Amino acid sequence: MTINLDAPTCPTREQRANGINAFNGKATELVERARSGQLRNCERDFQQNAGCLLNFYLTVRVATIRDSAMIVHSPVGCAAPAALYREVFRRLWTSLNRAVDFDFHWLTTNIGERDVIYGAADKLRYAIEESERRHSPEAIFILTSCASGIIGEDIEGVVSELQPRTRATIVPIHCEGIRSRIVQTGYDAFWHGILKYLVGKPRKKQADLVNVASMLSYTWQDRVEITRLLGKIGLRPNFIPEFATVGEFRQMSEAALTAPVCPTYTDYLSRGLEQEFGVPYFLYPSPIGMANTDEWLRQVAALTGKGKEAERVIKEERKVWEPRMDKIRAGFDELKKKNGGQYRIMGSLGQGRLVTQTPFFHELGVTTPVALCQDFDDLLLEDVENLIKRVGDFEIVVNTFQAAEVAHTARKHDPDMVLSCPFQGSAYKREKGMTRIHALRADGRTWSAQAGYAGAVACGNFLLQATHNRSFQNTMLAKTEDPYRPWFYEQPDPHYFHRKEAIG
Amino acid sequence: MGLTLISGEGGSLAARDYPEVAESPRFTCALGGAYSAALATYGAVPILHSGSGCGMANAHGMTYASGLNSGGPSGTTVTPCSSLIEEHVVFGGEDKLRRLIETTISVMKGDLYVVIPGCVPALIGDDVDSVVSEFKDKAKVIHVKTSGFVGNGFLGYEHYLDAVIDSLLTERPVEKKLVNILGVVPNQNVFWKGDLIYLRDILSKIGVEANPIFTDFDSLGAIGRIPAASLNLVFSPWVAHGTVKKLEDRFGTPYEAINFLPVGPKKTSALLRTVGRLLKIPKKRVEEVIAREERAAYRFVEYMAELFMVAMPHSYFAVIGDSLTVATLIRFGANELGWNPKLAIVTDDPPEEYREGIEKLLTTNLEGIFAPKVIFDYDSHRIRLALREEPLQVILGSSLEKYIAGTENEAHHLSVSYPVYDRMIIERSYVGYRGGMRMIEDMSHAFAGPI
Repeated sequence: MTINLDAPTCPTREQRANGINAFNGKATELVERARSGQLRNCERDFQQNAGCLLNFYLTVRVATIRDSAMIVHSPVGCAAPAALYREVFRRLWTSLNRAVDFDFHWLTTNIGERDVIYGAADKLRYAIEESERRHSPEAIFILTSCASGIIGEDIEGVVSELQPRTRATIVPIHCEGIRSRIVQTGYDAFWHGILKYLVGKPRKKQADLVNVASMLSYTWQDRVEITRLLGKIGLRPNFIPEFATVGEFRQMSEAALTAPVCPTYTDYLSRGLEQEFGVPYFLYPSPIGMANTDEWLRQVAALTGKGKEAERVIKEERKVWEPRMDKIRAGFDELKKKNGGQYRIMGSLGQGRLVTQTPFFHELGVTTPVALCQDFDDLLLEDVENLIKRVGDFEIVVNTFQAAEVAHTARKHDPDMVLSCPFQGSAYKREKGMTRIHALRADGRTWSAQAGYAGAVACGNFLLQATHNRSFQNTMLAKTEDPYRPWFYEQPDPHYFHRKEAIG
Repeated sequence: MGLTLISGEGGSLAARDYPEVAESPRFTCALGGAYSAALATYGAVPILHSGSGCGMANAHGMTYASGLNSGGPSGTTVTPCSSLIEEHVVFGGEDKLRRLIETTISVMKGDLYVVIPGCVPALIGDDVDSVVSEFKDKAKVIHVKTSGFVGNGFLGYEHYLDAVIDSLLTERPVEKKLVNILGVVPNQNVFWKGDLIYLRDILSKIGVEANPIFTDFDSLGAIGRIPAASLNLVFSPWVAHGTVKKLEDRFGTPYEAINFLPVGPKKTSALLRTVGRLLKIPKKRVEEVIAREERAAYRFVEYMAELFMVAMPHSYFAVIGDSLTVATLIRFGANELGWNPKLAIVTDDPPEEYREGIEKLLTTNLEGIFAPKVIFDYDSHRIRLALREEPLQVILGSSLEKYIAGTENEAHHLSVSYPVYDRMIIERSYVGYRGGMRMIEDMSHAFAGPI
């Protein structure tokens, strides 16, 4: 696959990698059908709101780029999620080495009735100039919306007109919600803009620099852990995009490699950096769980000539953390004894978590009756095949975050523990266990960590802790209503409302 | 960073200035306002006919931004959405909407289904009305005639009420002591739940039954009773004034615009006297309630007063928020707490014709020697610059001011207006005889203590 940076934006995930929005069956069947090109998107007759290219969550993320300004070229509501920019990230303790003096900036063109008739290009010009007047940023990101797309705004035209007179680098990102059924297209569009406009030609190589695209679904402590581990083998992380400076984006071409935290998120960037600047990359595994962290370090080492150092570090770290993992495993073993020999956890979220979380569960000695996955595409096909080899076949439901389908799947498989997103409807109301899948991005507690060895232990302890008391979930289940009618649960198919004919 | 124009050697390329191009405006879109109102209606299921991110954007930027709230049982990712993409833009989204309404009725429990279109159907010309009308024999389905780009969340709230009035209301015999409460906009007013509950409780003390519409379990029943009220109270200097006029035209219900929320004893008593007069409640009864309640409230103020006088006496203060919040708290600060109002920043973009009245409202009938400077703006950057110009000890605003209040003004800060990401607000409210005290409880700790 070649990335075409002459194009204004990326292809959609559907075009690029046969991305799909629905599947229900065995992992082996998913792989087989993907291999034979039989997977297709489908239309849902019943569908629930689940985020779009712009708001899953480019607004929130791009706003955190420190010396930049973001312009959301949209009606006011599309920009609203970024309203937390001044406050929420300051909750991170400065003792954790977050920048003290950050000050984020953004604007919305606030597209209104007049604009959808006469066009909003002049407002966009004004917004770019106003960003310069106000903040003298290093970069100005323009995020597009459904409205700007449908009224046919000539974003490229405005950019080429203004760039020669503008000190900041202008980076348009084509993340119109209507472009694709798969929100990952939004991330690809973001990386396309970064690669096309922002990453500079390398002035010098930085042999100890590792690009880490960490989307902060993982927390600040995960950065601390990754920094610590890389530091032990003489390497430095270049974390992007959240909290990065524009200079840190520019220098990505000088790095020794690009390493993943979430492969599906990093894919387009990693490939682009290799194609354009010869920066090597690997996509699997992420540093989630003990074995995957070992392997992540080995992959990093292989591309930086640090093989020996990595093996020494792995040995040292295992010595520290393995006994703690043993205790967690013993905790789950106790539970399993009382529970007919197994403890079943339903988790995952994106493709990235699918291929990382499932092996981590196996390390804990728990099983996964079914893996949920937001979307699926060819990019991780081999990794899923390898996963099946490691852990055996398993059920998989691809469902683009559809809350009713998740609720149905949880009832049907009735696992001992469900891990869910905070905004996944009433998912917390359960008789059996339930806990969160991830924390607020600005949660600086070691308790909330998930990456590296420290994260594996923290996350294992967190899951074990969640088994000790269920009164809140039980009470809410008993005292409040479920939003769906009983018949939906009583029939067997979580994808009951999918149209049978395949579409593009 | 500097404020000089670097690019502008040849002047601006933009044909003119656009003050509506703004940093973090203090509202969501009209779809978000209508969506919030539908979520506030217990038993209603909103159906978004829009791109797939509108609900999520309004979860993160509206309900979470309103004191870290979820959207309730039909909110967040539970909300049905037609999730329109390019092929619908080309071929139309009506068929998708038709199937979505049908399946929503079949799978989701609901007394009322509220179709809320976003930008996409408006731009491609979907005939939403005709699709909705196909369901008139199957369930209660209403169409809120709005869109994302037509205006802000306050307008969306009005559009929701318009749809309710046009689709659901019929004449009812008038109940003499029943009043409707309008103007408190869910989520745009971050205290909406508590405010409505306390307003109802206060009015009940003088034998008046309030219909807050949103807080009952039987929302459809509450909506159905709207025409039975003998009086509509609209708590806003401008929001929903059109709505109460419409109700007057349709059902002959008189209305009274109350341009403040009754925070603290003085304004709570004022409200009771106004409503008592309008509903012809015997004066003696009203005054008995007032005397009893005021005595009890001020008794407890004594527990607060000494350290309040240490922590923030006669503070210079600013209020930033929607017209109603600003009008309420400027008055409470100046007339009950003895603070000095310096700045009143109105962020809800009131229509031009209301602005003179709002400015007058904010600058008259205040104790002390100050009238605040009044600014109408929703651009968080200009608001920040305006705050820097004033010496301030207290900033009552949004969580956008949380950190700059301390570093740029040395001011104590409390989040009272959208967006609020720094505190959880569920039933909290400053309305009522003891409401003002609750506000002081929430903020006086920073500089209070034995000296």
